[in-house]
Amino acid sequence: MKEVLIIIPAYNEEKNIARVVDNLTENYPQYDYVVINDGSKDQTAAVCRERGYHLIDLPVNLGLAGAFQTGLKYADRMGYEYAIQFDADGQHRPEFIAPMLEELQKGNDIVIASRFVTEKKPFTLRMVGSHLISFAMRLTTGKRIKDPTSGMRIFDRKMIHEFAANINYGPEPDTVSYLMKHGAKVAEVQAEMDERIEGESYLNLSRSMSYMMRMGISILLVQLFRKRTEG
Amino acid sequence: MSIVLRVILIIASLLTILYMMRKIRQSKVQIEDSIFWVIFSVILLIISIFPGLADWLTRLLGIYSTVNFVFLLTIFILLIKLFLMTIKVSQLENKIRELTQRIAVERTVEKEKGDQ
Repeated sequence: MKEVLIIIPAYNEEKNIARVVDNLTENYPQYDYVVINDGSKDQTAAVCRERGYHLIDLPVNLGLAGAFQTGLKYADRMGYEYAIQFDADGQHRPEFIAPMLEELQKGNDIVIASRFVTEKKPFTLRMVGSHLISFAMRLTTGKRIKDPTSGMRIFDRKMIHEFAANINYGPEPDTVSYLMKHGAKVAEVQAEMDERIEGESYLNLSRSMSYMMRMGISILLVQLFRKRTEG
Repeated sequence: MSIVLRVILIIASLLTILYMMRKIRQSKVQIEDSIFWVIFSVILLIISIFPGLADWLTRLLGIYSTVNFVFLLTIFILLIKLFLMTIKVSQLENKIRELTQRIAVERTVEKEKGDQ
């Protein structure tokens, strides 16, 4: 068993999953991985089974938060030191795991792979949400997170346990904001990400806007009232 | 809106918000589910503190009094919310049924395969 577990929640990614996992097993064998099939309606699970991938097959769809938490429960049970959230659509690049791990070991609890540490975040329609969420986080925590919606995040042992055991610990910027406010150390590391090649993104305009609004309200209002029970 | 009603609405909204926050603090509710209620109570609070907007909308819609408009709006919003919750309950029942069947069938299949 290795130190790092790469958790890959997958929903309807039959066209991408083989590419993503093969890349990891061929080029990054120093990390363990597990695919979490989130009740896909397509052949994602079948593809994984045919190729002998390490798979946790959820009997029903739980959504990203539930699927990722499943991976963390597994990581917690197996005693992994570090767990990393990794997309099944091929947008994340494993070459940045090493610098993320390095930054984490400097005493951080969570490290986010951020597209905008050294590169400027563009002011396009697509990035408006990200700017707003960063701003909301800055208002509540005083800290700057440049890429709050990045889905590539690494967690240390204590975080793994805290996320696995509790409600309201989705892998979303509002959870990150809440944790920062309560003393967790969060850092970012510059990374590049690719565009999605196959399949459809879950986010269209109305879903993105609704997501932004929910995150905004959650960060600015709701997260102020939570009590933290440490893992 | 009478001053009495306004005061009642303000107090009711505040208490509701506080109660909800308490439940969130105790981690008894998922945050995304609570957001509807937070927005709802905040809107109610705003209407009670600043009835001007409600008064204007009431006249625009040709309703007799602002109170009626507040009731109408509240009931309508709750109707929608209730219907959405019915959908959610249906989906939950579905998931439970699926899980129950899956577990039971898999157990039996395992056992029968083991017996062979």
